Amino acid sequence: MSKILEPAHAGTLESSDVFVRVVPSEHAGIEVELESSVSEIYGEAIESLIKATAEAMEANYVRILVQDKGALDYVIKARVQTAILRARGTTNPDWSLLS
Amino acid sequence: MIFSEVPSTNITRVQKIKEFLEKADLEISEDIETFVIAKEDDVIVACGGLSGKVLKNIAIAESVRGEGVALSLMSELLKIAYSLGRDELFLFTKPMYEDVFESCGFKYIEQANHQVILMENRYNIDAYKKRLRKLRQSGDVIGSIVMNANPFTLGHRHLVEQACLRSYWVHLFVVKEDASFFSFEDRYRLICEGLADLKNLTIHEGSDYIISKATFPTYFIKDKRCIDSLYTELDLNIFRNHLAPELGITHRFVGEEPLCVVTNEYNMQMKKILAKPSAFPSIEVIELPRIEYNHEPISASRVRKLMKEGRLEEISHLVPSSTYRLIQTMISTTSH
Repeated sequence: MSKILEPAHAGTLESSDVFVRVVPSEHAGIEVELESSVSEIYGEAIESLIKATAEAMEANYVRILVQDKGALDYVIKARVQTAILRARGTTNPDWSLLS
Repeated sequence: MIFSEVPSTNITRVQKIKEFLEKADLEISEDIETFVIAKEDDVIVACGGLSGKVLKNIAIAESVRGEGVALSLMSELLKIAYSLGRDELFLFTKPMYEDVFESCGFKYIEQANHQVILMENRYNIDAYKKRLRKLRQSGDVIGSIVMNANPFTLGHRHLVEQACLRSYWVHLFVVKEDASFFSFEDRYRLICEGLADLKNLTIHEGSDYIISKATFPTYFIKDKRCIDSLYTELDLNIFRNHLAPELGITHRFVGEEPLCVVTNEYNMQMKKILAKPSAFPSIEVIELPRIEYNHEPISASRVRKLMKEGRLEEISHLVPSSTYRLIQTMISTTSH
């Protein structure tokens, strides 16, 4: 539905954090590219969390590039949300959608 | 630990960075725009530089290693690069640090002399190789030439003509980096126009992977007039191990360099590296003599010199008509 406008990023590469980049894509939907230090155990769970977070914000035509350093779920979620908000240039988000 | 940005114009602070890099056995690059440094008790403990889309001069002090400083430093560097819209990044480092940067999302491309490796964060080289594969021609002798052609002269024309005569097919790469007197657009157009009659020739726009600021940064640092042998090797390794196999290249043609010592050395090194035993087929380097006008070799630098002196008539003997027309308009627009 709503298109991402500008490439944006959030987070860091430090341990227990995650670096999230959001870039516009020509293809409909949400594409996730994940590299994680814990991908063998949590890779699928992290990927579906990222997708669900982006879907809840109605992101579309977007690629999400994620470099995970073992971040906890709520950190991943917050970083993805922040990156998408920055990509849209939103300064005053609807907080109820970000729960 | 405090991170800060240092623009390369800040001479006093850059001097401190230079001293720090020297301790890590690194030479400061002249083409860096911005450094990121980390300080502890007012002493530099880590630094990294951004030059176009290349990250380099990355060093961490022995005293703080193992604390994850590299990852913090890279976070800062990437933030700067991404906010400048530079998404597709390259990185130079020593082979021993490959793992560190791999954990930052970079992938290994090529190495030179076990001293330096080039890494890339998007790995576009695979897509590029795929595109090249489609342009493959099969024949016994597949020639290749890489030229900047700044601007295209009758000397270049002669080199390509000779290569085409000796090959079943020739792949000509035009250096894409816009760091020369003539723009890439002009250089590319003049090459195409000046060679339109040759049938067994593919003219390629260059890329980041063939004489670019990523593969061969020292090529573009003109005032130094020295081509670092390490980067020569890196560029040639990428050519031999990545690009040439896709196109089935068997030969590389270069102009002979009787006058310029530096370029002559470059040709010698090229012969050595492209013939070295390796997992990839070797490529034979053929040096062709330059043609002359008035007992002097025709070269692009000679044309540029004559342009500065406004000697248009003399230029007309050195370049094809399309190049001449462009120079004519350039001179007439600057003199009014």
